[in-house]
Amino acid sequence: MSLAAIPQLAPALLDLPFREGYVWSIVYVSLYVSVTAVAVSTLVSVPVAVALGFAEFPGKGFVKSVINTGMGFPSVVVGLVVLFAVSNQGPLGSLELIFTREAMIMSQFVLATPPITAISLAAVDGVDDGVRDAARALGGTRIDAALVVLKEARYGIATAVLAGFGRAVSEVGSVLIVGGNITGPDGVSKTRTLTTAIQLEARQGQYETAMILGAVLVALVLTVNAVVVRFGDGGVNA
Amino acid sequence: MLRAADVSVAYGDETIFRDLSVEVDAGEVIAVIGPSGVGKTTLLRLLALAAEPDEGSVALDDVDPWARSASERLALRRRVGMVFQEASLFDASVARNVEYGLRVRRSWTDRLGSLFGRGVPDAVREALDVVGLADETRRHADSLSGGEAQRVSFARALAYEPDALLLDEPTSDLDPRNTAVIEEAIGEARDRGIGVAVATHDMHQAERVADRVAVLLDDGITEMGPTEVVFEDPANERTRKFISGELVY
Repeated sequence: MSLAAIPQLAPALLDLPFREGYVWSIVYVSLYVSVTAVAVSTLVSVPVAVALGFAEFPGKGFVKSVINTGMGFPSVVVGLVVLFAVSNQGPLGSLELIFTREAMIMSQFVLATPPITAISLAAVDGVDDGVRDAARALGGTRIDAALVVLKEARYGIATAVLAGFGRAVSEVGSVLIVGGNITGPDGVSKTRTLTTAIQLEARQGQYETAMILGAVLVALVLTVNAVVVRFGDGGVNA
Repeated sequence: MLRAADVSVAYGDETIFRDLSVEVDAGEVIAVIGPSGVGKTTLLRLLALAAEPDEGSVALDDVDPWARSASERLALRRRVGMVFQEASLFDASVARNVEYGLRVRRSWTDRLGSLFGRGVPDAVREALDVVGLADETRRHADSLSGGEAQRVSFARALAYEPDALLLDEPTSDLDPRNTAVIEEAIGEARDRGIGVAVATHDMHQAERVADRVAVLLDDGITEMGPTEVVFEDPANERTRKFISGELVY
């Protein structure tokens, strides 16, 4: 973007209802939904990846293939399945989750889990078997050996979490279906995320607003990347 | 002390060895020599109580770990140390690597406490002193040469004072200086009363460090006895040919 374009974008910036907290509420909802979904997914995916990395059983290759296939799940299909699950006729209908952030977290959890598991598993598989053998030979239990492998694989696992976060925060289809892209009467987001807001603004011809929201989204992803990478670097000399 | 009695191991249809018996006594060094692929590593894994033999038994002080519970087996396994051909150090400092064996023997509460107090335990310094690296506690494992890494690997197994120490080709990739340091450390371990078994294809090294030698050929031990007897007056014809270089694998 050239400097000359900045004055043209200024009115768009002014048009954004900052005072009503519109943008901040969208950023908050995006972060709340995606961070929660990725955190829960990480708690599930990493132990599963370590267990799979340590276990030898018939059909292990098939299980890996299923996980890898999950990385390509179309988000709108995931959204439809979660919508069915939380709808009145669905198995979770009594929880009244439809068009709530919790339903959005569920759909993003389904989307983020396969990439986090698959990339973590690749990282665990990539750890030298000798390290694992050494941990056991030095008197470590299976849990001790798993902790050593986790530490050795931490950069790959950080990458997995980033990939999962990237998939979750940049996804439109499923959160639109299960969240409904709703704001309250005061204009504050209830289930509107940065991606669904961008989609809405662009459809209404508010391209400048959509661009600015897009820039906010990119800045958000870059910031989370930087924090995770920095966190990973901190472990080098531990 | 550490004994394998009539053990047999096979991988599928391939017999590695059968009816093999060997014992490692406290304060002695026994060298297991033989060509590559004959099963030296497999034998050490049995003695390390890391694998169960298909037939026969392994015992530490007459206790068969495979007839005991998992926790009792772990307690027995923790009395044995093993050093591999590859150093396989952890992504941490030299001190943290050498402390690992001590750390996993502590309670989880003590381990969490040790995260905040980063002093180097005396046992770690003493073990590193044996391999001439007492001043390198703060260096990261990645910065070590191959020889230094193997010396740290040796110190890592020595730090928790095992009753038996099993060394799998510990100097096969090392230069003469680092080899000499490791061989001196083997002598130090023996002097401390540790029973040491060294698997090696270097017969000169076996002559230098071992009190007894076991020759592993084909699918069993062809000869076992005092080092000078095995090398100078072997009773078995195949052993004699192997030692003289006439038997080529």
